[in-house]
Amino acid sequence: MSSSALRQPSILPGFGLTLGFSVFFLCALVLIPLAALVLKTGTMGWRDFLNVLFDPRVLASFRLSFGASFLAATLNAVFGFVIAWTLVRYDFPGRKFIDALIDMPFALPTAVSGIALTAVFAENGWIGQHLAPFGIKVAYTWIGVVVALTLIGLPFVVRSVQPALLEVQRDLEDAAETLGAGRFTIFRRIILPTVLPALLTGFTMAFARGVGEYGSVIFIAGNLPMKTEIAPLLIVIKLEQFDYVGAAAIGFLMLVISFVMLLSINLLQTWGRRRHVAAGR
Amino acid sequence: MSITLDQVTKRYQGSPVVNDVSVEVGEGEFFVLLGPSGSGKSTLLRAIAGLTGVDHGRIALHGRDVTHVSARQRGVGLVFQNYALFRHMSVGDNIEFALRVRHMKAADRRARRKELLRLVALEGMDDRLPTQLSGGQQQRVAVARALAHKPQVLLLDEPFGALDAKIREELRRTIRQVQRELNITTVLVTHDQEEAFAMADRIGVMNLGRLLECGRPDELYARPATRFVATFLGAANLLLARQTANGIRFGATPVNARALEKIDSGREHEVVAVLRPEEVELAPTRDNLRVSYLGHGVIDEMVFTGAFERLRVRLADGAADAQIARPGGDGDGAAVLDVTRTQHEQRVFPLAVGQSVAMGVRRIHVLPTPLSSYTAVAADQPAADALVKNPLLVELANRMKTRIVARVEPGLANPSSGRPATPISGVAVIAPHQDAGAQTGRDVIAQIEWLLHNGAAEVLVLPDQLVPPQRVLIHWADDAARRATLAVAASLLRHVPAEAVYVGILPESAGETQRPAGMRTLLDARSEAQAVHGLEMRTELRFGAAADELHRQLSESPEQMLILGISALADLRARFAALFASSPGYPMMIVHRPASPTNP
Repeated sequence: MSSSALRQPSILPGFGLTLGFSVFFLCALVLIPLAALVLKTGTMGWRDFLNVLFDPRVLASFRLSFGASFLAATLNAVFGFVIAWTLVRYDFPGRKFIDALIDMPFALPTAVSGIALTAVFAENGWIGQHLAPFGIKVAYTWIGVVVALTLIGLPFVVRSVQPALLEVQRDLEDAAETLGAGRFTIFRRIILPTVLPALLTGFTMAFARGVGEYGSVIFIAGNLPMKTEIAPLLIVIKLEQFDYVGAAAIGFLMLVISFVMLLSINLLQTWGRRRHVAAGR
Repeated sequence: MSITLDQVTKRYQGSPVVNDVSVEVGEGEFFVLLGPSGSGKSTLLRAIAGLTGVDHGRIALHGRDVTHVSARQRGVGLVFQNYALFRHMSVGDNIEFALRVRHMKAADRRARRKELLRLVALEGMDDRLPTQLSGGQQQRVAVARALAHKPQVLLLDEPFGALDAKIREELRRTIRQVQRELNITTVLVTHDQEEAFAMADRIGVMNLGRLLECGRPDELYARPATRFVATFLGAANLLLARQTANGIRFGATPVNARALEKIDSGREHEVVAVLRPEEVELAPTRDNLRVSYLGHGVIDEMVFTGAFERLRVRLADGAADAQIARPGGDGDGAAVLDVTRTQHEQRVFPLAVGQSVAMGVRRIHVLPTPLSSYTAVAADQPAADALVKNPLLVELANRMKTRIVARVEPGLANPSSGRPATPISGVAVIAPHQDAGAQTGRDVIAQIEWLLHNGAAEVLVLPDQLVPPQRVLIHWADDAARRATLAVAASLLRHVPAEAVYVGILPESAGETQRPAGMRTLLDARSEAQAVHGLEMRTELRFGAAADELHRQLSESPEQMLILGISALADLRARFAALFASSPGYPMMIVHRPASPTNP
């Protein structure tokens, strides 16, 4: 009697053990460090906190970090989708090779990609020298930051859109075609709505990664205060000046903004999904 | 005509998936394309819809040539096996999709949607999402969606494949009702013969990319023209029988049951008879039979299937035994017949496994195919054994569900050995260069002549190690052999996915004045092949000596075969010796029909 009363309703065994591990890992790796961050920030007074917050240099770095990340994620959403489409829909020589290439930004140490990008986009670099005559400077400007973040975020979009595209059955397009839809209509009304959730997920991940990116950006950004200084760099600078509390404050703020943005994208997705279901009721 | 297909061919990587299909579907007709998976039926449907281009031929809908018109502009409605509904849209939006694309006004759209939902009995389901519906309901939505833009033709690709039996039946009825109500020309693709019978006005049976036969379901079932249709539409026992002037005979047993069709009644020859399991009567003794006696047998297996009892009966009667090919043609000697009995018959005469019974035949149908079985003939035993194992011959016999018999005939190599004890039946098969023949100096032509003198009407000359041909050349020496040659070609090509080409040859001396006559001959040959034998073939006109021209073409590439018709035996040596001069690397089927007043 008692043993059956204690038994879990789930058919999978080991629920207690797995839950325990999950909670332990989340605590040790995510929650406790974040809590420490919050506590450290808490040691400073409101005045000091607001001073750090409204420091023009801090504000500028935030604008750059979030702005560039958003722009990069948007670029990735567009071109990552095109790449995923090409890889899923067409068979061409070297397809496997390009497919493997997509993951390179994951594997490469970010500093390496940063230095490579700087070398290529500097005014005397391979690409930079061709852009210079048009007055476009990439390295050591905000454009460089966007370029670096785009590179870093690309795999997230491609890898989340790819499986969703695979799921769009050819039959759906065939059906739409026999019903009289043109290619653009098929794309807009059939394909895009089907992969939109995956695309949003990819966008979110690319964006989140961009906000936190440090290694690749600092080489190409040039790190001019007020101009090309990203928020994570500012934290490092504060640490080097032994201003731990200030660093914690900036970190805390990034945490809050990131969390709010990610949460709202997630809510948007859930809302979108529920709207469909609700429409059916 | 609502749908006209003219010689439609679609190839994938060189080999034809849809092979020269021509058919016409009438206004408001419910046409079912039936065939096993991989027979090309779905590809053909997609070609009609415009989703797959064709490599050759024409497609017309209501008289308008749409061969190069995109699927968008064809005005067809297509229903898929997996429904292919747009999951992010409600039922109503799915149905309105085609109307929205056409920028129809909202009020009109709503009216049409309501009308369609009523048609498929889904009123009030407008706002549901496809995922909230059952499979049967989803397919109804798909049908409604396909009809929204008032297509001229409705195409259904295995629409019941994903549904269980009960729902399937219900949906079948709905679709048939909708089809009748709208009187819309409909093509349904299926591999289920029961479904085809239940729905079709007319059925077209496909196999290996070819449309084998078209006809009303009852016609096709009672009088199939091909082995494939006979066995694919319901169960059938294929038996080898002899057709004589007096009727059909199985071995020593004459069967009085009237054959439904008389073919080529002039001479006695081997035929393929179709015996449906339900046309067999079982009784304790021969005297108890009310129908024509076939032979004795022992019950091998009994399966109760509800309404019917299915039995396998092993034939015990020696004489009949030898003449009967097993259905499936694995040729391991003893013949087994499939028999079904009704509940009533079971009660009148209860049976048990192992029991001996007398079998009678209520009705048999003789297939109009000239290729009944293969007899591999050689001068000595080793050569005969080798020939029986020839991979192409085995493949052909398997595909034709018939048997290969080995026969040793010393007379083949040495004329002094005399005539064979019994006439050679079926297609005689020889290898082109047998050692025995070489020793005695009898060439292949002499061997063929000997076989044709001794009962064979067709001789297949088969070199070693061959794969089934990709291209079959057809030629006849004179018009007297035309009909028989076409019949053999049609019969063979049903079982080989090859391209058929009739080669008409005019002498080199023939000037431009004779060209139109030559072209007319080609056209006549093509239309006769299509109309009488259901064979789609290409035609080519050549100039020169017939044998040289054929040899040149056959030598050009491997995987070719020749079917050559002659009416005068002497022609073989006089006109076609060049074909046998070099060791032939290609199979040749020689068809011989003597010219007679009844066979002009």
